[in-house]
Parts: sequence; structure tokens; C-alpha cells
Amino acid sequence: MPRLLSTALLMRRDPRLLKLPPYLSLLCIVVGVAWLLMLPLDDYSRRTYISENALLPGQVHTYFGGSDQNVFRAYRHEVDALKDKSNTEINDELENIFRGIGLKVGRQNYTYHSAGNTYSGENVYAILQAPRGDATEAIVLVAAWKNVKDEFNRNGLALALALTRYFRRWSLWSKDIILVIPPDSRMGTQAWVDAYHDAHDASRVASLPIKSGALQGAIAVDYPQDGRFESVHVVYDGVNGQLPNLDLINSVVNIASGQMGMGSSLQQMWRHSDKYDDRLKTMLRGMLNQGLGHAAGPHSCFIPYHVDAITLQPVGQGWHDEMGLGRLVEGTFRSLNNLLEHLHQSFFFYLLMHKERFVSIGTYLPSAMLIAANFTIMAIFLWIKSGHVEINSPSKETKSKPATTETSKAVEEKRGAAAERDLLLPLSLVAGCQFLGALPLFIFNHTPSNLLAPIFAIFSLINLTLPPLFSHLLQARRAQDKPITLQHYNLSKSFSLLLLGMFLSSLATLNFSLAFLVGLLATPLSFTRPWPGNAIAQYAYIALLNLVSPTTVIAAGAAAWARYGQGEMGVVQAVTEVLEEAAFGWDVWGMYTPLVIWCVWWPAWLVGSVVVLGQPGTAIKGDTKKKVL
Amino acid sequence: MNHGKMHLQETAGLYATAAALRLALFTLFPALPDLLTGRVEISTPVTSFKRLQEGLFLYNHNVSPYDGGVYHQAPLLLPLFSLLPDPSAYPIFTYVLYIMVDLLSAHALYKIAESGEAASSRLFTSARKDRRWSGYVVAAIFLFNPFTIATCLARPTSVFTTCAILHAVAKAIYGTPFTAMLSLSFAAYLSMYPILLLPPLVLLAYDRQHASNRILSLLQFAGTNVAAASVSLGALFAVSYLLTGSWEFMSSTYGIQLTLNDLTPNVGLWWYFFIEMFDSFRSFFLGVFWLHLSSYVGGLSIRIRSQPLAVVTLLLGIFGIFKPYPSVSDASLFFAMLPLFRHVFPLMRYSFLTASVVLYSTFLGPAFYHLWIYYGSGNANFFYAITLVWSLGLSLLVSDMTFAVLRDEWEVERPEMVGKEIRQI
Repeated sequence: MPRLLSTALLMRRDPRLLKLPPYLSLLCIVVGVAWLLMLPLDDYSRRTYISENALLPGQVHTYFGGSDQNVFRAYRHEVDALKDKSNTEINDELENIFRGIGLKVGRQNYTYHSAGNTYSGENVYAILQAPRGDATEAIVLVAAWKNVKDEFNRNGLALALALTRYFRRWSLWSKDIILVIPPDSRMGTQAWVDAYHDAHDASRVASLPIKSGALQGAIAVDYPQDGRFESVHVVYDGVNGQLPNLDLINSVVNIASGQMGMGSSLQQMWRHSDKYDDRLKTMLRGMLNQGLGHAAGPHSCFIPYHVDAITLQPVGQGWHDEMGLGRLVEGTFRSLNNLLEHLHQSFFFYLLMHKERFVSIGTYLPSAMLIAANFTIMAIFLWIKSGHVEINSPSKETKSKPATTETSKAVEEKRGAAAERDLLLPLSLVAGCQFLGALPLFIFNHTPSNLLAPIFAIFSLINLTLPPLFSHLLQARRAQDKPITLQHYNLSKSFSLLLLGMFLSSLATLNFSLAFLVGLLATPLSFTRPWPGNAIAQYAYIALLNLVSPTTVIAAGAAAWARYGQGEMGVVQAVTEVLEEAAFGWDVWGMYTPLVIWCVWWPAWLVGSVVVLGQPGTAIKGDTKKKVL
Repeated sequence: MNHGKMHLQETAGLYATAAALRLALFTLFPALPDLLTGRVEISTPVTSFKRLQEGLFLYNHNVSPYDGGVYHQAPLLLPLFSLLPDPSAYPIFTYVLYIMVDLLSAHALYKIAESGEAASSRLFTSARKDRRWSGYVVAAIFLFNPFTIATCLARPTSVFTTCAILHAVAKAIYGTPFTAMLSLSFAAYLSMYPILLLPPLVLLAYDRQHASNRILSLLQFAGTNVAAASVSLGALFAVSYLLTGSWEFMSSTYGIQLTLNDLTPNVGLWWYFFIEMFDSFRSFFLGVFWLHLSSYVGGLSIRIRSQPLAVVTLLLGIFGIFKPYPSVSDASLFFAMLPLFRHVFPLMRYSFLTASVVLYSTFLGPAFYHLWIYYGSGNANFFYAITLVWSLGLSLLVSDMTFAVLRDEWEVERPEMVGKEIRQI
């Protein structure tokens, strides 16, 4: 062991070792990306399976149908009659219907403010008390008045009402069933589920008058289209990229295909060949949704409270009618009703690439961790290098420079076991940039929506000029007494990358996709360095950095969305909507994506750009240092 | 006294900034103090502000505060806090109290740093003693350390212990051993473990006696000081007895530290170990753990006899890792003492590694706790793994500092070896 250690110590001095880390870092990135691309292959992904035995999906007869079809049509007439009424009038009528069925009804007001807009509404919900239960557990059925695309959820509502009436007749429920009807899909359920867990802000959201037990699962029905459908689209992304237990998705897919003969699809992949490229596409779409961290449907708000939830959307033209979807919900509820304890057996961290194929966290996490590790490797490398500079450089040359006494003393000292580093400037630069990140976060979360696009444009311009400004300020401040050396830049970069690597690896445990995406976009920061004397390289690199700056990426994302997304809109409007959504997510859903962008990625980008623009020391000094590089 | 005024003038700006920052955090983010109070990393069963509220409520309604088994803190805190207006209605008074305590600690630290004791004690003068930070810098590092700020916002009662320990050290350095002993007994009264600092503190006070009335015999000096500490501790116990009317507080405050009945998670190593433990082995391992914790006192005091302040610092680091209910506030006390030893920093070998490990665990800890408690997708092992990493980081720092201090001593003894590579065997 001592011999091994001493060899390691000798190795540490080997100059060849110091050349290695940048390549190692590059290798980490390449392997990380390649790893992700390998995942859709059969060898790396697994078939899904039900791991909670109590669920028994598709093992019961479902009886919803027959005369319930007439009930459904009747409710649809009722719903149609209410279509253009106000929220309160609708809820009055719904309350009557619920009371007619014999359920307890509660109503809840909420008001949210975000980006200068006020959103308010009133939820109505009804509790069906379980004949065989003791009100300690409950399952939730959600039918929002409008879905996320602002379409009137006509059939979904009628179906939910018909199902509730039907469930009332059965005596087999051991968990309460709660039917929640929020006026919209974005904040109604959030207000309701916050209040259900007493985690609401009482000034914005009213408390719930009646409650039931712990929520075990939630199914949202989103059925605006008329006529028959072909397959069921399962939406499962939660806020901040959290996912429901895989067993829930598996059960629904299992019941839909095994019992009902319906197809099912994920991530808007209406046609899925189950080949490599379709799998990859599904996975990447899932990752993008997770990475954005927004609510994909009314179910999303349940997931942060550890309530497994999904939204079912009938899609396509086929031969299944509303009763089929009703039976699917019934079957799923019967499965959830069987649960003896909260869903915990199966995975919470997974990437789905087909309705029956997934990879679990152990398999995919290394790719994000490798990307994060590349920053850490560079940080450690730069730290070591900053301590070695004086030892390796030809000391005679350094000695002959103006500040003779000081440097020679420094060199004497640096011949010792440890070289002295000037930490104050790099530390304050990095800390300053980190704190500066609070500024865009605050601005973009508190700007009224009509000003968002102009403010964003101004900020992008400022963002373009910030690095040169900082670089200039640094040099002007230090020019008189002590010039900025390469060591300062190395240390700044080292600290900044250390923080970035740390934030991303912590984030990867919470939201893999976001960590991966931000990590990937930040990879050019690993290879920044001052180019004293080579202006072309410097400007080329700064151009590259500006190409992957947070502002450019937001603008590009918005432009892509405007081009390929639903609905016609210009880029300016798309930017406004993206920023509005971000502010809305921050204020209402507790979505932390803006925080990651402005307080993790942006500061690192800023420091990286300052490093590229750096002019360490005098020109001659720069030359001697360059040999070291 | 004149000198003291000068200190204040010099540091008034610093203290005002630190106080303003804390006050701003308290008032601009009103939800932040309560959020931090609930964090297990900061509030332990024996220091939590929430539990103090509970004890206070019982005390104000003439029920024994120790009924209900929630309150495990010293009885004398109760009259102090019942003098303040209700913290939920007028929180500002509590905030001001905690800010004041932080500033007092910083001031004690300032005085310790200004004395220069860290680099040149009676028996030892480091060759690098010119390389040091002024008291201003040391106090600033303490006051603007995020751990200190978080501790102040979360309002655990450990800040009083921190303040008492720092004042004990400062008084010992400035040649007033009895005040130092009084201060230490306050610290020990509040959270028991500081009593282990008695030996190095007596040595420190012995080394720093005023020339005018100096006691030459170490035994005699130690005897009087230990007696003084015991008397003041006894007095504190007596007052507590009079206040609560029974000796129940002994078992509730100190007994719980000895027997570890409350297994709420914290950043330390004990809770998980004793959750897993079979009951029949419990008392044995409690003995082992306590023996381990106290065994460092004798060894370090003897080995680094010439630098008692270094011993105190190292012990504070060790307590921050191995005591039954450690929290971030113990680490912040250790981090506060560390800059006093600026002169040995160049000799430390793992500073980057330590800093990264501590930083990583600071961010991964809450993330994993969240995965365990809120998402339900992780389990207790996640958080425990991170507390292990945190402890690893701190112990690396402690051992690295021990190495640096010893190497510094060695280089004075053997000047020809300065700068040579050495190897530990």
C-alpha cells in the first residue's frame, strides 16, 4: 500500500498527467451522450411489468355500459346547456346534480397572480363515501371544464358524471372516490390539491370545506373530441419532471390493450413502430417535457404530493365509444381500489420509450452524471494546475520581470510543498456572478406579460455586452498594482465549473432530464480559456458561447415552438408565451426550471465568457504561461 | 477599555452590515426562518426552536416543560424567552436577540484573532506567524458564512452555546481564567458537550496568565479553575432546580444526549446507527460512542500541548462530527475558528477536496432528504449516505488541519526540512 501511494504521489508530478483531464472531460461528454443514445436498444431497456401484485389489472369484469349510455347522453345535454354560463352558475348546477346523486359537495375559490395577470376560479368537488371504507384513503377522478389547450372538455365531464353516478351503485369500494371539477386544467387542480394537504397560501386559495382520506391515485379524463376514438393517450409528466409510479401507467396500458382492445400511446407518438428511432423520439419527447418541468395536464399537480396521477386522452378515429373509456377508468379504479398500501413497488424514476419499454434510473443516470462529472474533472484539474504553474514555468524568466522582489519571494515559497493561490478575486467573481443570477430570475418573474418580450430583448442585448464589460472592469481595477494572471482565470473557471458540476449532479437526482439538457448546453464552458494574442480564436469561441447562451437558447426554443408547435404565432408572441409560462410555473406550480436557468446555468456561462475574454498579465507573461498550457 | 472602543469603531461597519443582512433576510423573506427551523440539518432535538416554543408554552401554563418529551433544552432558556413577546406575534424581538448573539460571538472571535495566540503561544511560535488574517477578516468570515447565517435564521439554541464557547476562549486568552470558566460552564450547562473543552481551555488560560498574578504550578492553577467551573455549574443547576422545582431537567436535557432516546435524523452519525441497533447492544455502543468522543480530549491536549487554541479548534471540529446531535451550527463554529490558523493553510493538502466534499454534501443533503421525505421515492439510506459524506468532509478537514499544525511545529524543530516532501507512515 505505501508503495502504491508513493507511486501515486510520483505520478502526480508527471507533466503528462496534467495534459490528460481535458481529454478525459471530453470523453465523459461523448460517453454521456452516447450512453443516452444507446438506451432505446433492446439490450439496455426493459419490458414493463406490473410489480404490485395487489393491482391485478384487467382481472375484473367491468359493467359500465348498457343503460349507462343513456345516462351519459343525458349528462351531456346538461353539460351542453351549461357551456356558456359563468363559473358560479355552472358550479351551482353541478352541485345540484351531485346532491341529486347523493354525494357530499364542496366548493373552493382561488385567485392566482402571475406576470401581471390575475387568474381566478372556483372548483367544485364531490365525495363518494366508500361503503366498505373508513374514509382514510381516497381515489380522485378529475374532469376539468377546459383542458390544457383550452378546449371544452364536453365528453370528459359527462363521462365523469355518469361514472360517478354508476360508482355510487356499487358496494365494493373500499376507498372514497372524489370527483373534482376545476374550471381549467392549469391551476384549478393545483389549488385543490394544495388545499387538500393544507399547504395552501390562505390569502390566495380557500380551504376545503370537506375532505376525505389520503389520496392514493388520481385519473384525469380529457375528452373534448366528439365521436369514436381509436386509442388512449396517457399523459404522465408531473410538475418539475416528477413522474407517477410506473405501475399506474402499466396498469392502464394493460387494461386498455388486454381487456378493452384499445391502443395506447405516449408523448404524442400516435404511430409507434417500436423501432429504434421511434423509441428514441418518444424518450426525447419525454425528456423535454420533464426538463421543462411544466404541468402537462390536470394530473400534474398531484404528483409533487406523492399522489400518482395520469391524464387519459382519447385520440384518433376508431370504433371505441365513450363507454369504452368509462370501462377503462372503471377498471383502473377497481385496481387502485385493491391497493393495500400506497404504490411503492415499481419505479418512480424511469424513461419510457414505448408503452411497454422503459429504462430505470440505474441505467440512465450515469449519462447525466458523466456530463456533470466532466465539469468537476475540469474544476479539479484547473485547481491542481493553478498550484503547479510556478513550479513548471521557467522561473528565471519570471524572476526577471518588474516586480522582482515580490515574485522571487513568491517563487521561493512556491517551491514548497504547496503553492500559494490568490483566491480572493476568483472567489468574489464567481460569487458575484452567482448572486447576480437572482436579478434575471426576479425580473422575469415580476414583469407584466405585455412587457416580457421587450424586456427579454433588452436583457439579451445586455447579456451580450456583460462579459466584455466584466472583463474590462476586472483588468482596469487590477491593472495598477497587481495584474490579473492566468492563475486568476483558471481559478475562476475552476470554482465556476465546480459549482456547476455540483448543482447539476444534485439536480440529476431530482430531475434527470433538466440536468442532462442544461449540462449538455453548458459543455462548451468546460473548454473555455483565455486566448491572449489569438484574437480569432477568442472571438470564435465567444461567438460559440453566445450561440449556446441561456437567452439564445430560450429565443431559439420559442422560435422552434412557434414554427412547429400548434397554432399560428410569431416569434415575439412565442417568446412572450414561453416566459409567461415560466413565470406562471414559478408562481403557481412551484416549478424550479427558471431558477436552474438563471441561478445555475447563466452564472456559469457568464464566468466562462469572462474567462474567454481574459487578457492575463502582460503579453510576455502570457507567452510564458502559454507554454505551460 | 479604550482599546475595546477602538475595536468597536473599526468593526462597527462590519457588524452593522452583518446585522442588516440578517434583518433583511428575516423581514424580506418572512417564510424563510420557519422553513429553516424545520430543517433537520440545522435544528436537532436538543436545539430546535420549535421545541423551545413547545417548552415555553408548557412553562407559561405552569406545567413542567419536560412533560410530553418534546423539550430537551436547558431550563434557564425558558425565563429568558418568556421575557420576550410572543415570537409568532412580534418575531422582531427574537430576531434581534439572535442577531445580537451572533454579533457577540463575532466580537469574541475578533478578540481571539487579534491576540495572535493561534500562531504564537507561550511555548511555541510558528515560523509563519506573520501570515495571518486580522480580527476584522476572521469576524467577517464568521458573520458572512452561509452556515452561520442559516443557523441564525433558524434560531436554534445552539447559537448561545457557540457564543459562550467563543467567549470562554477569548477570556482565557485575555488572562481572566475565572470569567472563562464561568463562560464555559454556561456552555456546558446549555449543551453538555463543551465540558470536554475544559482541559485545553485550562491549559490555554494557564499559558496566558497575566505576569502580575501568575500561578506557577499547573496543578494548582488547574485545581482552582476546575473548582471555579464546578461551582458555577453547580450554581446554574441549583437555579434550574429552583426554577422547575425538580431534578427532572437533568434526565431530559443531559440524559437524552447520553442515551439518545430521540432518533430524529440529523447530519451526525449516531441516529441511523442506533435505529439499526438491537436493543441489547444499545448501552454498550452508547458507551463506545461516548468514549470515542471524549478520548480525543486527552490525546490532543497532550500531543499539541504547546498550542492549546489549536486543540480547542480541533476538538470543536471533532464534536461537530461525532457528537450525538450535531448540526450545521457546530460546523459553522469550527469553520469560524479555522481562519485563525491562516498560517498553516499552505501546509494543508486536501483543501480543495474538502471544500468540494462539503459543498457537494451541502447541496445533495437537502435533495436526498427531499427524495426520502417528500417524494417518497428514496429512503433513509439516501440521506444517511450524504451525512456520511458530510462527516467525511469534516473529518478530512480536521485531520488535514492536525497534519498542518503538527508539520508547522516540526518545521520549527527541524528548519532544514522546510519545504521537503514528507510521507506519513
